[in-house]
Amino acid sequence: MIWRELILPVIVVLAALGIGAYVVAVLDRLIAGTLGMPQTGSAWQAPLARGAWLLTQTANATEAPDWRAWRLAPALYLALAATGLAVVPWSETLVATDLATSVVLWGSVEALATVVIFLHGWSANALFALIGAYRYVALGLSYILVSMFVLIGVALPAESLQFTQVVVSQAELWNVIRQPLGLPLLLIVGLGMTFWGPLNLADSADLAGGTASEVSGPPRLVWDLARAAMLVAFSGVAASAFLGGWLGPWLPGPLWLVLKMLAVLAMLLLLGRLLPRLPPERCVILMWVVLLPLAFVDLVWAGAAAL
Amino acid sequence: MHGEAVLRQLALAPGIERVDSPRHASVLLVAGGIPPYLHEELRRVHDQLPQPCATLWFRSEPLLGLESATRIDELDDLPRALIVLHRELMSGRRGSSPRLLPDQPPNPWEGLGDFGQGGEGMMGGTPYGRPMAMNMHDDIRDGLTLDSLTFRLGPFFPALPPGMKAEITLQGDLIQTWSTQLVPYPVSLDAVFLDALQRPVPIAELELARAREHLHRLFHGLRLAGLERLGRQALQLANTLTLDSRVDGLRRRLVRCGFFRLSLSGRGRLTEEQARKIGGFAARATGLDDDLRSEDAHYRRLGFTPVTQAAGDTRARWQQTLAEIEQSLVLAKQAVGQDLHTSETGSVETPHGPWTDRRPEDASRLLGDLLPGLEWGEALATIASLDLAAVSEWPLEAWAAAPRVASHEARRA
Repeated sequence: MIWRELILPVIVVLAALGIGAYVVAVLDRLIAGTLGMPQTGSAWQAPLARGAWLLTQTANATEAPDWRAWRLAPALYLALAATGLAVVPWSETLVATDLATSVVLWGSVEALATVVIFLHGWSANALFALIGAYRYVALGLSYILVSMFVLIGVALPAESLQFTQVVVSQAELWNVIRQPLGLPLLLIVGLGMTFWGPLNLADSADLAGGTASEVSGPPRLVWDLARAAMLVAFSGVAASAFLGGWLGPWLPGPLWLVLKMLAVLAMLLLLGRLLPRLPPERCVILMWVVLLPLAFVDLVWAGAAAL
Repeated sequence: MHGEAVLRQLALAPGIERVDSPRHASVLLVAGGIPPYLHEELRRVHDQLPQPCATLWFRSEPLLGLESATRIDELDDLPRALIVLHRELMSGRRGSSPRLLPDQPPNPWEGLGDFGQGGEGMMGGTPYGRPMAMNMHDDIRDGLTLDSLTFRLGPFFPALPPGMKAEITLQGDLIQTWSTQLVPYPVSLDAVFLDALQRPVPIAELELARAREHLHRLFHGLRLAGLERLGRQALQLANTLTLDSRVDGLRRRLVRCGFFRLSLSGRGRLTEEQARKIGGFAARATGLDDDLRSEDAHYRRLGFTPVTQAAGDTRARWQQTLAEIEQSLVLAKQAVGQDLHTSETGSVETPHGPWTDRRPEDASRLLGDLLPGLEWGEALATIASLDLAAVSEWPLEAWAAAPRVASHEARRA
């Protein structure tokens, strides 16, 4: 009982968190290398060397930061990523937390991420970190809205807000075909929510690193780890909601999910390397004028199909 | 003065990661001499590096207190030296660079009350000599008035031209005011532009150098836009530029990824007066056809007419940049066929504008009129799309100049 209810879920989430974040770092380097960026050493060792370096480095101070919030924010973001991973079903029975409302819980992770990212930027008491924080708050709501409409769309055919039921409902036809608008919308929002690549406005180069511009040493390692882990959690949600989760022939269910998550991650990381960063104003217009109406269309489509 | 050349060399070196904040760095590289009036600012940047950290001085004199730091004079040795320093720091074989400034607030405490707010309630005051974010200005965008925040940035902020410092007031991330306090360092041009003032020079060599300068600026703009891969391609193209080089591929990739559509139409638009003051390609992107090459008989023989754009905004300037690179390559190829040299001396159209009796001057003070109303990212993209620094009276030294293979080939042809 304790094994199934407590120990196994914790192991599953921690393994997905640690290995997943490492795989994101490796995959990003492999993609960069494929695209012709100069690389030295092995892509498998480089993330470990970087981690070791950040552990060697001291955590710096700024002038009068909110120490508790500043140190806590990366850990909270990591905890949110872990919460997201906890609701991803690896098979019909292997789910860390098989809540009846797991889709809603993922929605709350997205909402709380806004609070934590703001906290990270605000508590440093530094200019660029603060601007990065405000940028995310200005955009976070639009990400959450689009994401929620899209996820309600996949809950309709399942007649449930439980990710396991959402996966089961795709036994005959995956949602990526049933609701063709859904996955592209969710992927774009995923880049925004994890502030990655073209939608990395909170930690961007024009803000010298944004909310992370003043962070060094172990807190930076935790922040980087948490960002990568959130990307993994997001890919798990996207694979479960649209790509049939663990469903697939020949291979064991968890392996199918891993392959689908890798495909989503590779797509997100590739987009991150190929597209320029959108200016915040463009991003707001894209979200509210283009993606949100498309999310409505997707929802109406899903509703009509469910009838 | 040659720091940009060093930066470009490192951008193509594997194993070197250029970071945007000193908090993310392990080694501080100082490339070229730093004027004494900026030593205090450099000390501040140095002390922002988290320990353990090291400094590397390339053709530069270490600051007082850092006499034992590593110095280096050979550009080719630079990437290796940086990697070695990082490894030594990581393995503990090298101690950290000492702190140069006392760890205390840069200004004395001037606040009143428990939180230093200095005024009644929670408002007012200048704790530590800096004004608090206050609702002082009317919003210039949509009427949603936010607290204004005034700060100084530079002279070593990577997204600004080297040496430039500005006092900026932001409301949200919208620029309310911009006041340039220190102008950027003058930039050195390829020696062929200075030679052209004295004697006829091969048009092919001049045009290849011009295309290279434009590609260097494009590299910086692409990196700022988050397109590091395309930026590197622009840089590689600049380093291997020959008469047969083509920019079609680069242009296609820039269009495909949406680079030209990043900035909204009309953002960073120059007035005619501002365009004339800045001169060069920025003026031509505003619709002015001022170009000293039009007055050169041999350029006219090549059928040269200035390329222009009408809009005068950031997008138009990048389009102009690409168009001028293409035009330079065509001119260079034609000129080699006819073995043409410039026919005029005493004046030359540089990539930074016309050089007649006076060098192209600094235009960074114009930013005070140009940037208010723009978002922060748009403002930086606007600055990257302009050549604001004055031109130095000294040419680029041989070690910093781009490979001249192409030019030699041009002469041989």
